[in-house]
Amino acid sequence: MEFTFELNGEEHRIGLITRKPRLTLSVDGRVHHVSDVILKNKDQLLLTIDGHRHTVWRARGDDHIHLKIGPGSFTLKYKDPLQVAQQSTDGDDVLKADMPGVVVSVHCEGKTPVVSGDILMVIESMKMQINIVAPRDGIIEAVQVGVDQTFEKGASLISLEVEN
Amino acid sequence: MFDSVLIANRGEIACRIIRTARRLGLRTIAIYHHQDRRAPHVELADEAHIIEADVPTAAYLDIGQIINIAGNASASCVHPGYGFLSENAEFAAAVEATKMTFIGPQPEIIRLMGDKNQSREFAQQTNVPTAPSARQKGDLDALLADATRLGFPLLIKAVAGGGGKGMSIVHNEADLVDCARTASSEAARYFADGRIYAERYIERGRHIEVQILGDGKGDAIHLFERECSVQRRFQKIIEESPATSLDHELRCRICETAVNMAKNANYRNAGTVEFIVAPDGEFYFLETNTRLQVEHPVTELVCGVDLVEAQFRIAATGELPWHQEDIRQSGHAIECRIYCEESDGTFLPAVGTVKVLNIPDVPGIRFDGGIALNQTITAAFDPMAGKLICHGTNRNAAINLCERGLNEIVLLGVNNNIDYLRGILKHEAFKAGRLHTEFIKEHTSTLIPDGPNDSEQTALLIAAALDVDNIRTLIFDTPEPYASIGDWQN
Repeated sequence: MEFTFELNGEEHRIGLITRKPRLTLSVDGRVHHVSDVILKNKDQLLLTIDGHRHTVWRARGDDHIHLKIGPGSFTLKYKDPLQVAQQSTDGDDVLKADMPGVVVSVHCEGKTPVVSGDILMVIESMKMQINIVAPRDGIIEAVQVGVDQTFEKGASLISLEVEN
Repeated sequence: MFDSVLIANRGEIACRIIRTARRLGLRTIAIYHHQDRRAPHVELADEAHIIEADVPTAAYLDIGQIINIAGNASASCVHPGYGFLSENAEFAAAVEATKMTFIGPQPEIIRLMGDKNQSREFAQQTNVPTAPSARQKGDLDALLADATRLGFPLLIKAVAGGGGKGMSIVHNEADLVDCARTASSEAARYFADGRIYAERYIERGRHIEVQILGDGKGDAIHLFERECSVQRRFQKIIEESPATSLDHELRCRICETAVNMAKNANYRNAGTVEFIVAPDGEFYFLETNTRLQVEHPVTELVCGVDLVEAQFRIAATGELPWHQEDIRQSGHAIECRIYCEESDGTFLPAVGTVKVLNIPDVPGIRFDGGIALNQTITAAFDPMAGKLICHGTNRNAAINLCERGLNEIVLLGVNNNIDYLRGILKHEAFKAGRLHTEFIKEHTSTLIPDGPNDSEQTALLIAAALDVDNIRTLIFDTPEPYASIGDWQN
């Protein structure tokens, strides 16, 4: 069985080969032996992989895993097969907020056609203005938020009519 | 000296002020919005009072409520910190209309320096050089015509501006109208004042600023300069003192210019006079910030002073705590601003919850922080999480300490620019001191942080897998014993 993780925009696959007599995992097709897995404290994990000891600082976010190894910090995402299946049904049809913010201006309205790249809305988040751009040609189904309205992360901003 | 202070701020600077105030024996009074109820400044202060507001930032801008709280809590003075009401003349005047003392300049000085047109005029009157500029006298079209005559590139700025808001560089006439409109609308939005002006943009200039202290009666001293050329989105991210580029003569001229301007204005308390220094050594006045700056710690470390203490002493006694000859620069200090933002070069703000926070305790490394474990970083406030400030015997030593500090800080749960900052410090152009305000733009492609090496990447992926409940269960929680695997201990 293999599991998929995303790191720096690239997908990586981890598979369990054996649990005994020792833990053997495949990472992107290469075999690695894990001889020690010790939780030093709730934030630090000690791992010995192929004889090399690593200290990893760890934190679970809402849908990300934050890790620090050596000087660098990295964010990984577990591609849960169930969630991946759900997301694919949403597709390009609903434009959602990547972070909480407020609507500065709206440049489209329902039932009107837009072209890929059109600026549909300007939002402000953490003192920065960000354009919400049409991801494809289509027709606006509805604009869910108005000027000066605030929204949370993940909120639907604009929906496009589903293409047949 | 005062017996108590209300800190009209939050985050890192509120904590910073509280530390000095407590050391001086003042009772510290914090204010907070409900969303900040678990923030460190609330914890640190002797008492904390809630301000009601629907929008969190509005709470810290509510002059009426803040003055009421300060009065009810019998505060003897009010410290505004930086940002929020720190450069609001009405707030300073409202404090002074009570029995309380405002820790900062006179309201009329704040008003004068806050209006960039007026402050530039004041500079010109006192023989401080300014870059050629065009002011908006009538409509926007007239300004644009004047601006075009100045020649490109131009910098468009908000008259009431600051913090990089409403600012843009225009390289040619074709872009001028759009840039000016955007700048004006941003200015109207952030400062409730849509006026803009244009000035000649000094290419490859260095941002050099001078820390000044004035007694409000015509005497002023400087605490030397800071170089803040490493910026993104017109906001500083690495500052240092002394400036590597200045020779003794130019340093003296710039510092004297700043002091003279402060003396001529009868400037009171701490302030910063900002200049842009052109590659040919000519320098031009940018603006005066009538408050403590974010980057004040680098001056504190090289001069061996506490600027917040100096602010309290000036406000309490009306006297400067030092003579000019008492102030010496020793060694080199660098500050790195840690922001919750993406470090892929977009600098988009990041949100999340601080899950792991570990600050190294190393001599020579100071961390001025304003976040706590489990605190949620939201879009409501400025995304600065803290500042790492290092002091070494020379610039290389300070750079090495900063690199060590950035290596050892652990801040997990919300994306941040720690790795990006380290990349700047390690950059050969930074080490060589080849700084200018477009440093980051010029070196964009070589500043993206390195990914993990192969062995680290394998460890990261395995560690991540062990963090997913059902994978961990598959590996460990099965009937078979896992003989050679160490314990999964909690």
